[in-house]
Amino acid sequence: MTAPAGPLLEVDGVSVRFGALVAVNRVSLRVGRREIVAIIGPNGAGKTTLLNAVSGFYHPYEGTIAFEGRDRTHLAPPDVAALGIARTFQNVALFKGMSVLDNIMTGRLLKMSGSFLLEALYWGPARRQELEHRAFVERIIDFLEIQAIRKTPAGRLPYGLQKRVELARALAAEPKLLLLDEPMAGMNVEEKEDMCRFILDVNQEFGTTIALIEHDMGVVMDISDRVVVLDYGRKIGDGPPAEVRRDQAVLDAYLGVAHA
Amino acid sequence: MLDLLYAVAVAPFRDMAGAPAFLIEVLIGGVFAGLMYSLVALGFVLIFKASGVFNFAQGVMVLFAALTLVGLLERGVPVLVALALTTVVMVALAFAIERLVLRPLVNQAHIILFMATIGLNFFLEGFGEMLWGANVKKLDIGIPDRSFIVRGVQINQLELTAAATAAVLVTVLAVFFQRTRIGRALRAVADDHEAALSIGVPLRTIWVVVWSVAGVVAIVAGLMWGAKSGVQFSLSLIALKALPVLILGGFESVPGAIVGGLIIGVGEKLGEVYWGPLVGGAIENWFAYVLALAFLLARPQGLFGEKIIERV
Repeated sequence: MTAPAGPLLEVDGVSVRFGALVAVNRVSLRVGRREIVAIIGPNGAGKTTLLNAVSGFYHPYEGTIAFEGRDRTHLAPPDVAALGIARTFQNVALFKGMSVLDNIMTGRLLKMSGSFLLEALYWGPARRQELEHRAFVERIIDFLEIQAIRKTPAGRLPYGLQKRVELARALAAEPKLLLLDEPMAGMNVEEKEDMCRFILDVNQEFGTTIALIEHDMGVVMDISDRVVVLDYGRKIGDGPPAEVRRDQAVLDAYLGVAHA
Repeated sequence: MLDLLYAVAVAPFRDMAGAPAFLIEVLIGGVFAGLMYSLVALGFVLIFKASGVFNFAQGVMVLFAALTLVGLLERGVPVLVALALTTVVMVALAFAIERLVLRPLVNQAHIILFMATIGLNFFLEGFGEMLWGANVKKLDIGIPDRSFIVRGVQINQLELTAAATAAVLVTVLAVFFQRTRIGRALRAVADDHEAALSIGVPLRTIWVVVWSVAGVVAIVAGLMWGAKSGVQFSLSLIALKALPVLILGGFESVPGAIVGGLIIGVGEKLGEVYWGPLVGGAIENWFAYVLALAFLLARPQGLFGEKIIERV
């Protein structure tokens, strides 16, 4: 199948409600192929909710979400993952008891197939398959420079490294679209620089499209092709970083505005 | 005082050294019982790992599997066919449990799921007896309950077969969990539901798989215990013996269930035979629970469990 020319992800008039609260209010946005799009906004603006709707954890009350031109508004998370959308979580959701290597291997789940019985016996094709995927995972480990911690249980790692392992797990799925929820929250300057470099490398080397939520404006302006601004669940800005930075509505949302 | 010390700390070991063949027989008996406990404990561990639910009905699942098997055998179904049919029944049960119990209760607190398994326990108990009757039944699968003697050690053929079967099953499950895609998916679900969903693990499929595997483990446990002591209601009570095994080994550890079972099996047999006379016997009945209590005080996460450290 040849890739259609349209945007990779189209969110069209999506609202998400929790009871009477409208967390996301008729938001539309497009993410083009190979783009890095940042979603910014003050706390409670609905950024994570929007991301959860895209990855299938919440379902929109109205509006549609299309991926590669096909509607997928009502799919459940595992099915969304199967389409080629991987994500990380704001509060790091690693499998804490498993080693870093096993955590990343879980990211390969959808790429694996095989007979239950053969697997139970760890025999023949099942074993060969395991080794092939292992090789791929080792490449990701090299890429993200986490060789030294591959056998460490993920729960014992410092926060910054956990975030990196979570990125590795998402990458292991070879996603077409990568959703990152505050990939740099709680990191020091050096860790942030590393993470920026990884995100840019992923985008350039693997051609992965990336949508990320981030609070650090410096980072956002540096790495994103386009910035989408949310405030109180509505979209108030959308454009290249330099443009969004000068937008009055955006400045108001961030700096506060004097109400007469 | 010195006499007591001698009786507790010296005499039993002197007895052991004095009759090594008998000691080996006791140990074999212990390993057999231990593997049986491990099998039941394994059923708990599988479900607990994958869903965080403590399945109160595991013991009754053993009884139900054994009842179904015996019921089929009594109606003249050949052994292998009966085993296959029982497996089908247990897998069907897993599907039914996922559909009727787990799915409607998804995202509920663990205590609610636990209560649901208590309900399941009573349902299966009544349903099993309704279908197959409540009489004590003899389970004969064609392995003779005979003993033979190797170098002065008496070995029971049935126990040996049971132990070998349990060992194979336990090994396969351990490898399956550690090394394979589905095993890893199971551990992933156990660790973090959201993250598991995000990497494409379908929760429902996983639940059906673990309950099916737990059902198959229940068949093997029911088969072995049933062949040894008849199929009757008390079979469901072996679940109580599995509890100390879980506390010893850690609720989430497959190797823990195995080692815990062996320690308790061997420990209680040795205690009964060599120290029993000192306290008038019956050590076998309480040994497991006292050991579990000691573990709860000293190492609550069990031998193989993960220590939970909360960041404050």
